[in-house]
Amino acid sequence: MTGEHDIAPARQARIRRPSLAHRTAWGIGRNIAEVLANEELAARQGFLQRIEPRVRLLAVLLFAVTASLLHSPWSLAAMLALAATLAAASQVRVRSFMRKVWGSAGIFVILLAAPAATRLVTPGRVLVSLGALSLTVPGVLGAVTLVLRVVAAAGIALLIVWTMRWNDLLSALSQLRLPDVIVATLAMAQKQIVSLMRTVEQIHLARESRTLSAGTTAENRDWVIGRMAFVVHKSVRTADEVYDAMLARGFDGTMRLLPRDRGRARDWFYLLAALTFCAAMMALDRGALR
Amino acid sequence: MHIPDGYLGPQTYAILDVAIIPIWGIAASKVKKSLKTRQVPLMALGAAFSFVIMMFNVPVIGGSTGHAVGATLIAVLLGPWAAVISVSIALVVQALLFGDGGITAIGANCFNMAVVMPFVGYYTYRLIAGDGARLARKVAASGVASYLAIVAASIVAGVELGIQPLIAHTASGQPLYAPYPLTVAVPAMALEHLFFFGWVEAIVTMGVVAALGRQDSALLAMKPAARPLRWLWAGLGGLVLLTPIGVLAPGTAWGEWSAGEMGSRVGFVPEGMSKVGGLWSAAIPDYAPAFIKNPLVGYLVAAVVGSALIIALAWGVAAFLTRGAADDPAELTAV
Repeated sequence: MTGEHDIAPARQARIRRPSLAHRTAWGIGRNIAEVLANEELAARQGFLQRIEPRVRLLAVLLFAVTASLLHSPWSLAAMLALAATLAAASQVRVRSFMRKVWGSAGIFVILLAAPAATRLVTPGRVLVSLGALSLTVPGVLGAVTLVLRVVAAAGIALLIVWTMRWNDLLSALSQLRLPDVIVATLAMAQKQIVSLMRTVEQIHLARESRTLSAGTTAENRDWVIGRMAFVVHKSVRTADEVYDAMLARGFDGTMRLLPRDRGRARDWFYLLAALTFCAAMMALDRGALR
Repeated sequence: MHIPDGYLGPQTYAILDVAIIPIWGIAASKVKKSLKTRQVPLMALGAAFSFVIMMFNVPVIGGSTGHAVGATLIAVLLGPWAAVISVSIALVVQALLFGDGGITAIGANCFNMAVVMPFVGYYTYRLIAGDGARLARKVAASGVASYLAIVAASIVAGVELGIQPLIAHTASGQPLYAPYPLTVAVPAMALEHLFFFGWVEAIVTMGVVAALGRQDSALLAMKPAARPLRWLWAGLGGLVLLTPIGVLAPGTAWGEWSAGEMGSRVGFVPEGMSKVGGLWSAAIPDYAPAFIKNPLVGYLVAAVVGSALIIALAWGVAAFLTRGAADDPAELTAV
């Protein structure tokens, strides 16, 4: 009897654990919701959203390259502060911004950088004595620099994700002379990704709704692989249908360019300010190191 | 395997960002030649498929699940050049739409997952499956190919990360980017793919190839490429010539220590290691033939000998497996 009582809670816990189909459907649903939420954020009338897309993209690339060239933790912290300030000016809550940045990139890089702070990986003057795991000065500085660099870069990248609508991004890429065939493929890919994600979510929800047992690992694996094969079929079939639809609408092989904006004075002023800020950061960073 | 921003220094990411542009150009040109205007929806759907396949949780063992990249599968279905574009677009969308993978590291991520993986996977598949193999052999070939491809890509990613402390550090030795040397980064990346993600990739690829082979074998049919092995030989020759780079890495690879090195590192030699350590004496120990004094030449000779032995062995196994096999009708041209 004791044995049964001991085993029962474990069995119940196993039954209560969400099924594979549930977890996958939930994960995909969260991603779809994220895409929609990003579009909603990017549609707000904030500071960055008013800047012409091409200028916005160039400035973000400039910030990303600058963050990769900085050496001092202080300079990198300033880049993160800049990203947070731009996000706040663009009607993004700083708390959400920081939670996303530290939650997605920060925690992982802290775990990854921690061993590098010890003398096992980075020898040097000991800062905190912990035997074989003593923290060294170059180790800690290197770890802090890496964490701040990765988090600052993630914050800068998030400015694209949260303040640029997908169409604006495509327009920017088109204006930056990316071949139209690539822009068209990107545009179509984004729509098809969301469509396929919905299909896969529905497949998993359908399985979740009509199964009682969680199934064995082998059964679940066979089912997942079968659904992947279905997705391949659907992709190829849809590609043919899309092409037929393009032909039916008069597609003759030439790509229509997205409308190109001419930047206004304030857009160029923003780019100039971004350039000045990055140049100043580089000068301060190199000065701070001497 | 997605490398975020901040882990690679500008010397590395700039080279890979620039290097990927002509590769995309060649891929676009190759795809355009064979697929004409159908390329756009097919590439878009290939990218969408590549993106979505990464979202499936694949049960592996003991309740654990993993994700596949699917680059070898796409290369087998669409050809390696088409896979370059499809997987690249999926990675760009991931970076710009979801913030997964870096902006400056887009070149590196595309090189690892959209170039190394499809090409290693595709040509390994072609080598093992042949031009007209039976389904069982195609399935086995796809498994081996996808496993090798993801391991190869993980090693390349490990090298990119592992060279950072060598090429970017302050005067006091403080690393500026990824902090772990080659001896840590390469084994760390390779081992997780050798023991876990490689198997996930192989299981998924084999399963999907088997399912497609049963349902719609036309998707797996390929016209024999003009000279498919020519590029494989050229690539192998290039890799052999590059092997002396290994001499530049200081110390012994992580986990490959001799009994003596183990003793000096941890203060004792495990009993089992000291017992069995001397049972086998390699013909060319440490990739350095005894009669060659120059380590660079030794590495090169070891690479040539090793490659020749592996090719001979693979050739023998393939000849054994393909005895009496009939060719399938070729229908599609892979690019």
